[in-house]
Amino acid sequence: MSFFTDSFFSALTLMRDLDPELVTIVGVSLKVSFSSTLLAAGLGIPLGFAVGIKDFAGKRGVVTLLNTLLALPTVVIALFVYSFISRRGILGALDLLYTPQAIIIGQFLLILPVVATFTLSAISRIDARYRRTAMTLGATRFQTALVILREARFGIMAAVVAAFGRVISEIGISMMLGGNARGFTRTMTTAMALEYDKGEFVLAVALGMVLMSISLFINVILNVIQGKGNA
Amino acid sequence: MLYTARNLRKIYGERTVLRIDELHLEEGIIYGLLGPNGSGKSTLLSLLGFLETPSAGTLWYRDKMINNDPKILLSLRREVVLVDQHPILFSTSVFNNVEYGLRVRGIAREARQRIVEESLDLVGMRAFMHEKRHQLSGGETQRLAIARALACAPRVLLFDEPTASVDVENQIGIENIIHTVHQEKKVSIILCTHDMLQTSRLAQETIFLFDGRRSASTHENIFSASIEEHAGQPWAHLAGDISIPLNTALRGPVKMAIAPNAIRIMAEQKDMADQGTLPGKIMQLTQEGTHIRILVDVGIPLSVRIKKQSFQDAGICIGDAIRVQCPPHGIQILGEDQAQRVPR
Repeated sequence: MSFFTDSFFSALTLMRDLDPELVTIVGVSLKVSFSSTLLAAGLGIPLGFAVGIKDFAGKRGVVTLLNTLLALPTVVIALFVYSFISRRGILGALDLLYTPQAIIIGQFLLILPVVATFTLSAISRIDARYRRTAMTLGATRFQTALVILREARFGIMAAVVAAFGRVISEIGISMMLGGNARGFTRTMTTAMALEYDKGEFVLAVALGMVLMSISLFINVILNVIQGKGNA
Repeated sequence: MLYTARNLRKIYGERTVLRIDELHLEEGIIYGLLGPNGSGKSTLLSLLGFLETPSAGTLWYRDKMINNDPKILLSLRREVVLVDQHPILFSTSVFNNVEYGLRVRGIAREARQRIVEESLDLVGMRAFMHEKRHQLSGGETQRLAIARALACAPRVLLFDEPTASVDVENQIGIENIIHTVHQEKKVSIILCTHDMLQTSRLAQETIFLFDGRRSASTHENIFSASIEEHAGQPWAHLAGDISIPLNTALRGPVKMAIAPNAIRIMAEQKDMADQGTLPGKIMQLTQEGTHIRILVDVGIPLSVRIKKQSFQDAGICIGDAIRVQCPPHGIQILGEDQAQRVPR
């Protein structure tokens, strides 16, 4: 027990003093996670919206595929991306392996189905009368789409938050594609794994607390926004 | 002519829900669209509101033939607004809801403010301008939906059962609004309802629909029945042990309507069971001008309409046990697809 409390209080000291290594690791984690989430949101929201709103042949197949991709393990994605960006891969010349960009690509592929599926689900739950009402009030197709997006905004925000939570806490992609290079591609989760291997728990506990704090902060913000929206 | 329709069909899957051979609606009139549930009223309103396209047939709006060009449909939708039976409000303030139609039309902010206030005034809801949608009752939601439609300054307003889900006070309020809008704004109105009294109060012309088709009159007392022969006489079996005699060569399952005006009411007397009458109890009495509508429970609800004088002569009141007779001439077979015709 004393081991945990010692690590806990030492971790608090690291956080209070803004330990440079801790700050760097958190910075890299946030940078890659925000970037991949932003990219996935940029593509996943329109994709989920389009699949949710349109009726087309093979729609059930697309939905099944997206749902299946939700269960894709991070190491499989990492291997897949590795095969493209390693020196022998077709994108090897771009020298992306063991860079933050490689992590971003891997994480983007990891959460694209998350954002798309959750968006699709949010759009599907929207009452069909919104579309009809916007149309009868004279909205164009684009304006009608905006109404539906607006009504589904909390579900879509939840999709983005879930996706961010997935990437900030993943380790397989960051380790295999980032390489855990100190100050460059070392993220919170890869650093925690390394510190654990070394038997150094103080930094690992501090990073764990930061990770949980970030998650808590984002969820609190989401709850506040949802609360205001419902008020 | 506001609308002209010819051979209009709407088909969902393999089911034809609307088949209007001919329809002419003039501008500046309140039309009542009457019919039971499933008669195609809402489908027709969707077509007239350009929210759906016909599966077949031709529709003209103000003498222009309608095609499926999205730009043309958009411009038409900006002239015709539909107020739903259960309107849904956008999850924002009352003001933003009413303003929506103006914003999508690119109306300037100052004009929007003025029009929203005027529209809310018209439905008596200006005090609610900054309320959120979930703070409104059902009647207020319906009135707000009307204000939202009015703000768009439509040439035609389509109402899909506007008072179906509101209390009596709001019903009167909404009817007054519809009347005022028609009088002051000269808006053409098509009002779909199954309330005949409401139609008689508001509409100048009435269109009857039944089973997706135009009908000469509204059908009431519609039942699914099975026609069977007993002692050489065909009987329509309605439910349980409720059967009535009729003249028809049809046998088997049919859909039939019993005209309320044709039904006779008699005081309960002994030995009447064999005369093709049904025992019942008076549940409700309503005055309709020179007639009285009587709701009789004969095991199933039966609507009867008799002259006021006949009602007074009969000396009946609510709760009285009576007998009703449905003469064969008052029975109309509506759907006979599954029935078989036998030689007379």
